Amino acid sequence: MAQPINRYKADLRDFNFLMFEQFGLQDVLGKDPFSDWDQATCSEVLSQVYKFAQEVTGPLNRVGDAQGCRLEDGKVFVPEGFKQAWDKLYEAGWRTLGAPAEFGGMASPVTLAVLSDELLSGSNTAFNMYPGLSLGAAEVIAEFGTDEQKKTYVEKMMNGTWGGTMCLSEPHAGSDVGSSTTSATPLEDGRYKIKGTKIYISGGDHDMADNIVHLVLARIEGAVPGTKGLSLFIVPKVKPEGGSNDVQVASIEHKMGINGSATCVLNFGEDDDCVGELVGTVEHQGMRQMFKMMNFARIGVGIQGLAVASSAYLNTLEYARDRKQGSSIEDWKDPSAPRVTILNHPNIRRDLLEMKSKVEGMRALITKLAVHQDRLKALGEDDESETAAYHHGQINLLTPLVKAYCSDEAFQVCERAIQTYGGAGYLKDWPVEQYARDSKIFSIYEGTNAIQALDLVGRKLGQGGGKNTQAFLGDVQKFIKEHAEHPELKDAVARLQKAHEAVGGSVMQFLGWFQGGKMPNIVLTAERFLHMMSKLAIGWLLLEGASIAIEKLKGDLSEPEKAFYEGKKFSGIYYAMNIVPEVIGDAKTLKACDESPLAISDAAFGPE
Amino acid sequence: MKILVPIKRVADPANANKVKVDDDATKVTSEGLEWVMNPFDEWSLEAALRLTENAAEKARVGEIVVVSITPGEGDTDHIREALGKGAERGIVVPAGTDEQLDASVVAKILAAVVKKEEPDVVLMGKQAADGDSAVAGTKLAELLEWPVVNYATNIATSDEGKTFEVKRELDIGVQTLKVEGPVVFTSSDRILRPDSIKNGVTPDDFEYADLGDLNSRLSNLKNIMAARKKPIDTMTLDDLGVELGVGTEYVKFTLPQGRSGSAEFVETVDELVQKLQTEAKVL
Repeated sequence: MAQPINRYKADLRDFNFLMFEQFGLQDVLGKDPFSDWDQATCSEVLSQVYKFAQEVTGPLNRVGDAQGCRLEDGKVFVPEGFKQAWDKLYEAGWRTLGAPAEFGGMASPVTLAVLSDELLSGSNTAFNMYPGLSLGAAEVIAEFGTDEQKKTYVEKMMNGTWGGTMCLSEPHAGSDVGSSTTSATPLEDGRYKIKGTKIYISGGDHDMADNIVHLVLARIEGAVPGTKGLSLFIVPKVKPEGGSNDVQVASIEHKMGINGSATCVLNFGEDDDCVGELVGTVEHQGMRQMFKMMNFARIGVGIQGLAVASSAYLNTLEYARDRKQGSSIEDWKDPSAPRVTILNHPNIRRDLLEMKSKVEGMRALITKLAVHQDRLKALGEDDESETAAYHHGQINLLTPLVKAYCSDEAFQVCERAIQTYGGAGYLKDWPVEQYARDSKIFSIYEGTNAIQALDLVGRKLGQGGGKNTQAFLGDVQKFIKEHAEHPELKDAVARLQKAHEAVGGSVMQFLGWFQGGKMPNIVLTAERFLHMMSKLAIGWLLLEGASIAIEKLKGDLSEPEKAFYEGKKFSGIYYAMNIVPEVIGDAKTLKACDESPLAISDAAFGPE
Repeated sequence: MKILVPIKRVADPANANKVKVDDDATKVTSEGLEWVMNPFDEWSLEAALRLTENAAEKARVGEIVVVSITPGEGDTDHIREALGKGAERGIVVPAGTDEQLDASVVAKILAAVVKKEEPDVVLMGKQAADGDSAVAGTKLAELLEWPVVNYATNIATSDEGKTFEVKRELDIGVQTLKVEGPVVFTSSDRILRPDSIKNGVTPDDFEYADLGDLNSRLSNLKNIMAARKKPIDTMTLDDLGVELGVGTEYVKFTLPQGRSGSAEFVETVDELVQKLQTEAKVL
């Protein structure tokens, strides 16, 4: 039986640095729509959420992993302690930090909600999915629903009375969501009869809330095939008028990780008695509406990656400071030399710094995206200025980077964490093996990372005639120009410059392939490109952080502050000197586009 | 009922290994320490919150004023934290340095604050986690000529703080006292048990959830946002008519010896006993 012990760790100093020293969140605080918020309150909220994460959700992480969920008599039971944590979470109000005041939220800056989400997700990924998805589903109804629907559902879904899910995947329609077969038949009262099977439904059933509101993609009879014929329906587990709504849990999955999160197969209308309401009043808007939630969820997955990787790193660091093994390499000839902690070994230092720089890089990228959202909110909904378009464009462009790069890297960071622990890391006595298992799903769900790469290359790069991409590359170029002669950073900036050229060249390469109709080449190389562009973005943001830190280091600082800024400086330099140069090689590989995977016959892959 | 809760900020006891002393070993250097609310004061804050609320209806029915005497400029972080947990008002007294704030100075400052605020109760930690003097509460009561009950484990009132029934758990058993307000209480950790506080407003059968490892309830978002609008007054030593005087001279601080840090696992109890006898020689 796993004991409830918290292993979650975070370094809030970096959160505060990103908000207020690098991305200037204070610009939008204290005035509409964030007039209730100031710098001190943001920091206070983060430290209290961290306390909550350590005291309430963190201790349940291993418990949830060991126990998993149970399906009994068609009902899902979550692991011990989850229900109490759910109640405490909603009582504390952390989940509705960023929600609008009309639904009981505190309308905080997106950035604060995002960074709080890191703390909640990192402390217990599986648990946090239930309230996270409930909020996402509620936001869809808040944006697209009728007044009646908003009144019936949104506040209850935001305050934890009810849960929520998103139901897209079907047995034969995963990435290919357009081939969904769940049907909706109009009823006389304006509602629809829903029939079909949905799979991989996170939080599809549980015993923490009175009702669960499913958002279900289905095709109204006679609608066109493909994604354009899909509509979105509100399908509660319990009918608004009371009584079961014929949503049955066929099974729950047994998974590699996130075992505390119930992943359900749901049968809608098996007894022909499942009723749904169209979200809003217009049919065939399902994909557009669902994309609201998908974008929210995609950023959420990036946050999950960051969150788990960050705690994996900080736990590994603690272990490396404690674990003694071998002597210093300087004493390699002396078998009686004193044993030293593994933090003294150059390769361990390298791996730790790599983990640190990647974690801080992911956090910087995610914070940048969130601050764009806050600056956009500060301009007001109706703003059609170029500035607003710029923020919009960067949000669109960066979303696939956040989802895919952070989820890929999370697994890599966890892998390095296990390696650094050595044999101990492979044991369940330490938290990192669970982090590795939990984090593997991040690159798969909410649109696989291959889908993210196609979204980036096929849709986002060319959006607005390529304007967003140009603005992004322009921002990086501006930094490079201003820091090319920086006394401490110029070598690192020189590498960023080369990577910038490489990414620019690859964008042109894609354009050529598009014009030449070489679509398979695009699919072959899109993921490589997504990583190139992410490394460029993160290299830039980390070096920007490093340049700020170097300025601060000139002042009179306390020891911990000095250590923090020195850490920021080396995160930037390490990433630029060791990770960013990969972009240059990758650009060559991309350009050469070895077509072996296309040329090889199916049979040549190996025997059947 | 109006309760004054003094809150000291102390170096995080969980990171006690970060504490350093200066070169001539006459003071603890505060550089780089992480400050937290004195855990003993947190118990009192929690007890005070329970005394001034209807827990069943989640409604406040009294007033808590937290007061913090803070070296230097007057850091209000921990007052804010207390306000975020539900306290109504804060008072910060910026004063001197840690070394100058010994128990007698602290008691004098608090007595002056009490005279201005006229609370029904002062509820404070039995000691501070850094100095461990456990003197300030008693001294304060002496200066005020109020009764004092130290190490309270249960506090009950049914007349809004005019009289109290208080319990103290001693080695010889439980002592029950009746005391009239105004009064100074210092609290023991057992004050956090689910049924330790009865205020005559919260239904008697209401049970608080076990706080586990926590020293007081967690803050919630609503309280944190409301706390922004709650007043924090500054009172200077001049306002209070108190002078810093060196009551205590610190001769020398010595850090504890580092632990050797080696642990050995044994397979059986017999082996353990044998090792304790022959190797550790403690049996």
